[in-house]
Amino acid sequence: MSLAIPNGLDNTVERPGERAPLVLGETDYHEITETVCQVAERKPSTSWVIGFLISFALLQWLGICILYLFYTGVGVWGNRSPIFWGWPIVNFVFWVGIGHAGTLISAILFLFRQEWRTSINRAAEAMTIFAVACAGTFPGIHVGRAWLAFWLAPYPSLNLWMWPQFRSPLLWDVFAVSTYGTVSLLFWYMGMVPDLATFRDRSKNKWRRMAYGVLSLGWSGSSRHWMRYEKAYALLAALAAPLVLSVHTIVSFDFAVSQVPGWHTTIFPPYFVAGAIFSGFAMVLTLMIPSRKMLGLEKLITIRHLDNMCKIILATGSMVGLAYGTEFFIAWYGQVQEEKFAFINRAFGPYWWAYWTMVTCNVISPQLFWVKKFRTTPWIIFIITIFVNIGMWFERFVIVVTSLSRDYVPSAWAYFSPTWVDWSMLIGSFGLFMTLFLLFCRLMPVINMAETKSTLAKQIHLEEHGYGNH
Amino acid sequence: MSENNEKKVHGIVAEYTSVDSLLNACRRVRDAGYKKTDAFAPFAVHGIDKALGIKPTVLPWIVFGCGAVGAVVGLAMQIWMNSIDYPYIISGKPMISLPAFIPVAYELTILFAAFGAFFGMWALNGLPRFSNPIFTDPRFDRVTDDRFFLYIDSKDEQFDEAGIRQLFGDTGTDYIQTVVDDDSSSKVPKGFFVAWAVVIGLSVIPVLVVLKMRLTNSNLPRFHVFFDMDFSPSKDAQQTTTLFADGRAMRPDVAGTVARGDMLIDMDFMTGIDMEALTQVDARRAERLVRSFAEPSPQQAAEQPPVAAEDEKVAPEDDPAATDAAATPAAEAAENNDSQGEGSDEAETAKPAAPVAEPSVMDTTPWLTENPLELNKELLERGQTYFGIYCSVCHGLNGGGNGLVNRRAQKILATKWIPPSKLNQSTLAQDVYPDGKMFNTISNGIRKMPGYAAQITTRDRWAIVAYVRALQQSQNASIDEVPAAEQEAILKQQAEVKKQLEEQAAAEAAQAAAKPTEKE
Repeated sequence: MSLAIPNGLDNTVERPGERAPLVLGETDYHEITETVCQVAERKPSTSWVIGFLISFALLQWLGICILYLFYTGVGVWGNRSPIFWGWPIVNFVFWVGIGHAGTLISAILFLFRQEWRTSINRAAEAMTIFAVACAGTFPGIHVGRAWLAFWLAPYPSLNLWMWPQFRSPLLWDVFAVSTYGTVSLLFWYMGMVPDLATFRDRSKNKWRRMAYGVLSLGWSGSSRHWMRYEKAYALLAALAAPLVLSVHTIVSFDFAVSQVPGWHTTIFPPYFVAGAIFSGFAMVLTLMIPSRKMLGLEKLITIRHLDNMCKIILATGSMVGLAYGTEFFIAWYGQVQEEKFAFINRAFGPYWWAYWTMVTCNVISPQLFWVKKFRTTPWIIFIITIFVNIGMWFERFVIVVTSLSRDYVPSAWAYFSPTWVDWSMLIGSFGLFMTLFLLFCRLMPVINMAETKSTLAKQIHLEEHGYGNH
Repeated sequence: MSENNEKKVHGIVAEYTSVDSLLNACRRVRDAGYKKTDAFAPFAVHGIDKALGIKPTVLPWIVFGCGAVGAVVGLAMQIWMNSIDYPYIISGKPMISLPAFIPVAYELTILFAAFGAFFGMWALNGLPRFSNPIFTDPRFDRVTDDRFFLYIDSKDEQFDEAGIRQLFGDTGTDYIQTVVDDDSSSKVPKGFFVAWAVVIGLSVIPVLVVLKMRLTNSNLPRFHVFFDMDFSPSKDAQQTTTLFADGRAMRPDVAGTVARGDMLIDMDFMTGIDMEALTQVDARRAERLVRSFAEPSPQQAAEQPPVAAEDEKVAPEDDPAATDAAATPAAEAAENNDSQGEGSDEAETAKPAAPVAEPSVMDTTPWLTENPLELNKELLERGQTYFGIYCSVCHGLNGGGNGLVNRRAQKILATKWIPPSKLNQSTLAQDVYPDGKMFNTISNGIRKMPGYAAQITTRDRWAIVAYVRALQQSQNASIDEVPAAEQEAILKQQAEVKKQLEEQAAAEAAQAAAKPTEKE
């Protein structure tokens, strides 16, 4: 572990009566600025360029597939009766779930005064927004005539002379996801303004200075501004916390409010939220472990941060495992024939491979995090989080496809087979996500400098004035 | 900057390097009585609001107000849209089903409150503000890095440059500076406006195009990038399609099914022929007839049941020679040519006329002599209705053969027109022209008259036969056959009608005389 920490201090060790340092090294405010700004100011590294080219190519491929879909119709997917939802909805729920970690880190951990969030919240929030962008793509193109998707909005239409149906969970979903996307964007942008001002003040190039000048809205660091800003930030966090819990709850209503066996369960809202946080943290770690190395941010994103996130993965992974078990128990306990069949079919039916992949990745693999060695070794964390990502995709696949493929009428049963367009769109959505993320790394402050400095200020204050008397 | 005295002084700023020194300086400035002060820092410094005497913000109230508005808007919108303006009943829930409206109202509450927090904060802070005199000092760039600044505005009542410099000097700063007007150009580069204009201009174009399309009329068909569901192109007969493996747009009946109207229940009823008798006379033809009903070719199934197809295209019975010449070949043609349900002209020319002496198939067919339906008032009225709809245009309402079409044909001297039969003539009387034969004629047509099997149901065709019989009787009857009670009324009516007709004829004659040239 000492390899990863420049000054040899292991901040994962708990010392009684002390707060473990979250910023390592003989550092000061200016060094934080330098460390973060160099990411965007230096020339892009070869690995960044290669990564960007690959992601951008995948994004183009996604675009081509979407055009092909528009031109040909939704028959290009493997969605067939009775499995009308198929991969587009699997991908939607997968990406929305990933989008939950960012706001959770920013809002809920902020409200709980978990200061270790400061160095990871920016990237996690960015990830939230990019994941919501990926998620929003899928229901948008899944509506069939995507160019009429604006009919979802309650506007006085001259063509329809009618309004959306507000008693449908699918419409709740439209409001939940779009509100979530908007509020996350505001939260992210607002959090970035002081750091964009730092970028502005460091810019040598006139155009760069102007661009960051416009983006930072003339931020001067005035303490009156800071006071209102802090208040607004706390208020937004307080608003985003219930929002983040409501979004995946409402996504789960898409399923739970229906009558399909295996979907119609009251456990879905908490189970979906736990799964969303679980998958979101896994994705944050998957991205953070290589990027902290490549961007040289090891002093700010320390092993302790990774350790903490692994603990959250362990907790939420166990909740997800408990939910899987509870579902089975209730299916047996409820004695509804269709429900019992739906669950036995999941585990031992034609999709048994998907179910057991899900259980292995989501329930068994995070249990390794009970061991501290695994929580503090970046490459092991990386591998486990990859498993979690795969498992969470399979969870959505299992829920969507197994329930639809065999519901009440056996004569209508079918087996789902994805087409090349399904595959391309799943992979292409990663292209969209990574393109946005890599651009973000180059153009925006990847770490919240202002908050990290304020954490450092507290650290300095504690060192100077001693612990305990504050 | 003493050399810049002519410039407007905005205030004085001092630089500090640590949080503690800044807080210390803030307290001293506050205690010295300065009100219009501000501190600048790279992060939110705790305790600075107390040190500077900054009042708490009203932002939470704005956020609360926005959230309340969001909740009300969310609920009102849903209730108005789904319960009042366009009431939906879903799952038997009440019109205003609050639980179902909670999620959207909840989301809108958060959305509005978040807007309130975000925009409210910027508005209270007076941002965006791109030109700020404090930015004139290049050293101030470090305020977003690692330096802290304390500022006293010149608008402060106690403002006194020397005194403030003294005060700042005592707080341990090594950099004190007067903030003056920015002398750099405040002009926005021209390129910026050009780019702005181009972006606005381009983004307006699609809106204008859509508006023009919506607000103006056009003779051209609607423009569709993608076709809507109301556009469903249909194939014409005989066209090909890629939808089916056999490439045929016209679909055969599904195996083992009977199309509506093709149900074979009573062959006598459907053909007007006594099938039992026909089997004895000509078993082959009877079999063929049954088969043509049982296995209609795809086209026939779609368009017209092949009612006694082979008996069609017979020559007018007024001319026995022609009847004989055409009847037999037509009968044969139907067998050879099942893609064309009707015995065709082609068949007539392909196979030369049979010997004249052979009796017509029309005469040898054992037609039903009586209407298979029970005769009653209801049936006759039905027949009258359908006679009025389909037959009277040619045959006339009284069956006299002088319907509108015939009159028109006579008027324009149509050369190929064969006048429709007078239905009350003796050759169509029941004893020489059985009911079955008349039914067959209605079904399959004769001479210029097309078959009506496709348009009139079997039962209604029999009803027409019954009505024609009544017409025949009425047209050839004498007044003595009418019950005595009715005679007087009829005579009276007759006289009235006669008078009207005469008047009308006179008027028409006068009109014709007045406009002698009016003729096509």
